[in-house]
Amino acid sequence: MPDSYLDLPQGTLDLLILRTLSLGPQHGWAISERLQQISDDVLRIQQGSLYPALHRLERRGWIKARWGISDNNRRAKFYELSNNGKKQLQAETDAWEKLTAAVAQVLRAI
Amino acid sequence: MLSDLNIRLRSLFRRAKVEEELDDELRFHLEQQVEKYMQGGEAAQRRVRLEFGGVDQIKENCRDARGVSLLEALRQDVRYGLRMLRKSPAFTAVVVVTLSLGIGVNSAIFSLVDGIILRPLPYPQSNTIVHFGWMDKSLIPNLSVPEFQFCRDHSTSFAAIAGFQDGEEGELRQGASKRWVATAFVTDGFFETLGIELELGRPFGREFTRPGSGYAAVLTDSLWRNSFGADPNILGRQIVIDNQSYTVVGVLPPNFTFTQPADVFASLHLGNSLGDQGMNTDVIARLKPGVSLSRAQSEVRLLGSEFLAQAPSAQRQGSGVLHLDRYQDYLSSDYQTTLLMLLCAVGLLLLIACANIASLLLGRASSRQKEISIRLSLGASRARLLQQFLAEGLLLGVAGGAAGLAAAEASLHVFVSAIPWGLPATDRIALDWRVISFTTAVAIGASVAFGVASFFQTRKLDPNSALKGGRAVVGAGRGQSLILNGLVVGEVAFSLMLVLGAGLLIDSLYRLSQINLGFNPAHLVLMQTPFSPNMAEANPSPNIGGTKIWSFERQALARIRAIPGVQSAAVVSVAPLHGQGNIPVERDGHSQDSIGGTEYRSISSSYFSTMGIPLLRGRTFQDSDFTSSSRIAIINETLARDWWPNEDPIGDRLVIGEYQGHQYLQIAQPALQIIGVVADTKGMLLKQPPPPMVYVPASNGLMPNGSTDWVIRTSATAGIDSSLQKAITDIATDQRILDLEPMSQLVGGSVAEANFEALLMGIFGALALILTLVGVYGVLSFQIAQRTQEIGIRLALGATRRDVWFLIVGKAARMGTLGVLIGLLSAFALTRFMGSLLYEVRPTDPTIFASVAILVLVVALLAAYIPSRRAARVDAIVSLRYE
Repeated sequence: MPDSYLDLPQGTLDLLILRTLSLGPQHGWAISERLQQISDDVLRIQQGSLYPALHRLERRGWIKARWGISDNNRRAKFYELSNNGKKQLQAETDAWEKLTAAVAQVLRAI
Repeated sequence: MLSDLNIRLRSLFRRAKVEEELDDELRFHLEQQVEKYMQGGEAAQRRVRLEFGGVDQIKENCRDARGVSLLEALRQDVRYGLRMLRKSPAFTAVVVVTLSLGIGVNSAIFSLVDGIILRPLPYPQSNTIVHFGWMDKSLIPNLSVPEFQFCRDHSTSFAAIAGFQDGEEGELRQGASKRWVATAFVTDGFFETLGIELELGRPFGREFTRPGSGYAAVLTDSLWRNSFGADPNILGRQIVIDNQSYTVVGVLPPNFTFTQPADVFASLHLGNSLGDQGMNTDVIARLKPGVSLSRAQSEVRLLGSEFLAQAPSAQRQGSGVLHLDRYQDYLSSDYQTTLLMLLCAVGLLLLIACANIASLLLGRASSRQKEISIRLSLGASRARLLQQFLAEGLLLGVAGGAAGLAAAEASLHVFVSAIPWGLPATDRIALDWRVISFTTAVAIGASVAFGVASFFQTRKLDPNSALKGGRAVVGAGRGQSLILNGLVVGEVAFSLMLVLGAGLLIDSLYRLSQINLGFNPAHLVLMQTPFSPNMAEANPSPNIGGTKIWSFERQALARIRAIPGVQSAAVVSVAPLHGQGNIPVERDGHSQDSIGGTEYRSISSSYFSTMGIPLLRGRTFQDSDFTSSSRIAIINETLARDWWPNEDPIGDRLVIGEYQGHQYLQIAQPALQIIGVVADTKGMLLKQPPPPMVYVPASNGLMPNGSTDWVIRTSATAGIDSSLQKAITDIATDQRILDLEPMSQLVGGSVAEANFEALLMGIFGALALILTLVGVYGVLSFQIAQRTQEIGIRLALGATRRDVWFLIVGKAARMGTLGVLIGLLSAFALTRFMGSLLYEVRPTDPTIFASVAILVLVVALLAAYIPSRRAARVDAIVSLRYE
């Protein structure tokens, strides 16, 4: 794999998934594609991390899963944000922004 | 959270459906990806698969994320574990049997100790009950009556204090019916000391303990029910036992037990008789609330020295310091050493068993490295593997624990039936919930420990190299070798200690069996007849023989001699090893240098010839001595040596019943002339040297024992018992006959304790050796399997098979020697606690130490023999090509 891929900090994958789903219901493959696209190919999500994360989020009640039909007419499992998930996304986004701002400030200051 | 529960439940109960969905979801992803790459025209399938990684691993992670796992995984693990254990039945059997041995004997011995030492006495606040004794060189556990009275009247630490004396059996007459009852004699305060409330009536007061007053009696519940039909009006009634009348004042509650089993607890008369002067009274007391044992101890110590200072010399029986023990501790003191030793022994056995199992599991984990590597590369997490190892350990533990409980139940039965001490209520010793939880804890603790231990074998495992490399790469690491070698060394050391203990006890038992009894027990039958009440009536005093008894004995002896097969027969007031009859005796005219207490035997003329006791000097009794009124006696060698060290005792005289000028008998006895000296025989105790002894003709002897012992030398065995009984009852219809048994059985009984200890320790020692054999064999086999390739290289480079053989045997010898040395050093420190259990064997006996060391070493080498042969047979080519 190219060296330009970045490892995701712990916990950020959940945030990214939630954010992606905030645009509307998606299946797993589309989520990974979307993340790769948006991040200009820097973030490439391994399936080995993506699916366990989806199942974990589902268990926590932040996303809901249902079976639907994909663009190419195939049966696929779609995930969407639940109400709890929306709140969680908000909370995690705020926390992330505070954290990055603080880290950036420190980096600039020194 | 609801979704959480929902998903977990769904995962659990709709497993097939969930799995199918997971499959679909991942397949969809894969196909999407392939489609995408196809558009780019690449070798899409392969690329996708490479990127995608292991599907199974992702699935496993998804399952984890959904929280499927715990229960489901456990189920899987148990099923998998069962399959693995079934696939290696020999391994499973060895582990389960080893574990069950360790757990089984531990539970059994623990139950025994619990039942005998740890369980509180069946009285309220029983830990406040104390027992008196004189602590001199050793504990003298009894007091004289004056000592008891002094303590009772002057102490302040006790809520209640009481004395009791050995009981006797007597005939209870109830109209026409008769039954034998055991009577214990106790003072007032007895029931208060034990804290027992009577079911009926009240405990008797002190007035019943004065000589000349009536006797009061408290009946046990069972006697009251069986002989008096649970009569509610029993109080105040007179009952008659052996012509002595007792007033019933109370009935005990059911389930009352006492160390001295009795049907009737009668008031003890505290007189000044011979028995009361002697140290014949057990004294117990209950501490006042708030008084500590140490406070009572210091008071009693003071009382003891005050008593010795003020009492007249004739009453001064005790010596040393008056001493208190908790009653429970006092009662169990006789067996404490033995039980403690057995506990240590089974503890060692458990350690050996655990070492064995640990080495077996470690070896097994190593040989399973390939399997584990595959599982790791297929996506199993290490935590998951740990869980699986735990499950396997748990299965083994549960199987071993269950088998151990069965073994415990069986062996406890054997141990209890072999208990040599006359303990009350041994039938109540059983495995209870504490023992069962102990067993379970050991099983689970061991299994968890072994599970974790074998898991850590896989810790540093690199899946790639393990899969590629085969044995050479996976070979036992240094750390693991060290652990395994350490286990072997420990095992050898532990079993050495155990076998050493067994060796000392067995040698001691052998020496006991070689003891010179002073008589020949072969073909000798013993029988005891207690004096019946009508004979006692003919006695002017309990201590003075009556002609009625001698005429009964003479007639019965004539009949016994007429029984076919009987070669000779004799009577003696008490036979060797069957009891004692101690009376003050002094050498006439030497009251100050005489020893005092001497064993006293009244015998018939044929006693020495029947027993096979040789005459050393002078003559034995003749029939004419039994009709004449001449006062004569025969003494044994010990008495002759003690009192006439450089003189001939024959012709000199003894006075019975006198000691240092004090007259102990109600009727003073004339001096007896010594006519002979015979060889020594044992007194009551086999382990004690023969006591000084004086023999007098039964026709005018004292009767200190209240019974007659009969010794019959016979060639007949079958039917002799009934012939003997008939010979007695033909003359005295009512005569009771006790202890009719071969003399050899009585001798056997006096080594019963040594037998018990040697038997149990022998079993444990043998088990330890077998376990060690299996353990050393297992470890070496495993290590050789690991080193096959290395051995192949050695052979290829020119080593001979002999060299290889020496390599393995040398290793076993080194480990064995180290273990033996450690074991010897530890045993050296430990065996001295066994001193009191040994007879004429030093706890550090060099011969036994050396022979046991050699035995254990031989066992270790024996265990090395088969694996070393296998190693020597290794084919260099095959082993190098291997894998």
